Amino acid sequence: MSEQINKTVDMDDNDKTQRQLERLQATLNRACKNVPFHRNRIREAGLSDITGLEDIEKLPFMDRTHLATHYPYGLFAVPLRDIVRIHTAPGSGTSPSISGYTKTDLMIWKKMVAGAYAEANVTDRDIILVHLPPGLANWARDYKDGGEAVGASVIPNSPLSVAKTLMVLRDYKVTTLVTTPVFARHLTAHMFDRECHPNALNLKQIILVGEPDDGRTISELRDSLHVDVWLNYGLSEIPGPAIAHECRYHDGLHINDDHILPEIIDPATGVPLPTGEKGELVLTTLSARAFPLIRFRTGDMATLISQVCPCGATSTRIQWLAEQADNYMLISGIRVSQAQVRENLKIALKMPALGCTMKRSCRSGEDILLIALIMDEHLFSDEIKNLQQLIAHAEETLTEQNGIKVKLRLTQQRA
Amino acid sequence: MLKIKNLRCCYGKIAVVHTVSLSVRQGELISIIGANGAGKSTLLAAVCGLLKSWSGEIEFKGLPLNGMSAPAIVRQGISMVPEGRQIFSPLSVMDNLKMGAYTRFRKEGKSRVAEDLDRVVQMFPILKERSAQLAGTLSGGEQQMLAIGRALMARPTLLVLDEPSMGLAPKIVEMIFSTIQDLSHSGVTILLVEQNARAALKISDRGYVLETGKMVLQGSADELLVDDDVKRAYLGKDYGDFLDERNQ
Repeated sequence: MSEQINKTVDMDDNDKTQRQLERLQATLNRACKNVPFHRNRIREAGLSDITGLEDIEKLPFMDRTHLATHYPYGLFAVPLRDIVRIHTAPGSGTSPSISGYTKTDLMIWKKMVAGAYAEANVTDRDIILVHLPPGLANWARDYKDGGEAVGASVIPNSPLSVAKTLMVLRDYKVTTLVTTPVFARHLTAHMFDRECHPNALNLKQIILVGEPDDGRTISELRDSLHVDVWLNYGLSEIPGPAIAHECRYHDGLHINDDHILPEIIDPATGVPLPTGEKGELVLTTLSARAFPLIRFRTGDMATLISQVCPCGATSTRIQWLAEQADNYMLISGIRVSQAQVRENLKIALKMPALGCTMKRSCRSGEDILLIALIMDEHLFSDEIKNLQQLIAHAEETLTEQNGIKVKLRLTQQRA
Repeated sequence: MLKIKNLRCCYGKIAVVHTVSLSVRQGELISIIGANGAGKSTLLAAVCGLLKSWSGEIEFKGLPLNGMSAPAIVRQGISMVPEGRQIFSPLSVMDNLKMGAYTRFRKEGKSRVAEDLDRVVQMFPILKERSAQLAGTLSGGEQQMLAIGRALMARPTLLVLDEPSMGLAPKIVEMIFSTIQDLSHSGVTILLVEQNARAALKISDRGYVLETGKMVLQGSADELLVDDDVKRAYLGKDYGDFLDERNQ
């Protein structure tokens, strides 16, 4: 494993470009051959061959609507019998997004996550606790697999309360916690409320996933818990976590560009932006077998860092910014489409139209989607019980559809 | 060490290899696998200067090989073990080995060649026993050893092998692959073209899968060994049932 990682690090720029080109060409050949969606679009773009990495700009973008349109298996590039894992995520349309993994895919992800662990100084002497919300269950599996590949002892993801989590951290002598920033904050607050001193724990490092740094969470966690904090970047739908990770210098995130090719584009025009400029992160998979992504618009804003990292690794670095390029909200690492939530809400409430506002809110250690619904005559019922039942039903439906907790609050129509 | 970028090979008007890129780093053992007619041997022929009609870039130790003749390429350090051995049947085993040093005999003199001859016969003792015998009378496995020995006589830095397992009994194939692995451990960089995907990948660092002239997969050997696509490419099985299955 470490040998594989070092080989990548030792490659010079020339080698890296060659390797990326080889992988890009093979990815496109596979996608063209096996996925009619990719074949038609590449033909429409009039592109016969990719002869350099810069040619990628001639390819059309993919976004989340394509995943929904080709539900369930329309974008798979291998026969179903080769698929060994299928993952579902809430999509942006009426259908969820489905991605698949072959044995080789899982092996590659395991190596990538193990690489991220290695950068965070996790070794076979560590005990890892994975605590992620249900919507990030796929990542939880990958962090478990990666941890096991490193040789660490892994406590897999399970829905524990904050008090139980604290008990596990303390009693099981957990050294590494993989979680979301919101839960890490909540856990810290809970610890100090219970007067549990950080020295009572064996915790050495926290790996934060799902959200970019808001400028204070990481430093607060470092100061209050006396631990190293490492940020990992991933996509909740596809293809997985640890696409990029921090190194010991904590200056941006290193993208696993042996497997994923990054670009930064202007979200409005789609034009690629030069290194250093802020834009939307676009990713192309270079080694994914089952579910290749070609110029996938992530909706995340980032900048590419041109300076070479003092750690010596030549992989591309990004600064992950705390903003979104589209109308999605990032809640506990899960991307929620506001338009889609609105549509689903209409169906759940059986209303032709509705007025509502949405925001992220923190309730007992987890981020939830809080919807303020404007009361009108369609919704109004003289029996409060009926109204409560309807709201509870809508909350339940939306929670299931989005993989995060949804709360509805009724508000008055403003004059 | 060897860098191929956007290689296209044609026989007349028919393109056999389409925009293929591939690289071999110093000390690596790389396999190219694929079914019959995938373009593997054509690709090697282009690398070794045996095919003229190709476009793209082939670079060996930073030097472009475009327009270079086969002997010049051998002098650069690329030596080939051709498909079907292609030994000189009417010549003796010893003469076959000496022919391998043809490009360096005048330059380096008899003694250096004799040293290498010793090295090769130590590696393949059977060739010493048969040194006076006509090469055409050797068994398939012995001929393959002779072909490898002859290629090594050119003191290559990159040894290119085209289907070394072809037509050999499983036991002999095992022995040939073990020899290739030993050569790799001794520091020779190797580019191996094989239909016997599993055997080739087992001894390789990385592999490439070629399908109807296009590179469709590449990765470390352990990744490719578990890949179902590799099995299909090796068997030449098509994806005909693929769409039907997906639409069910």
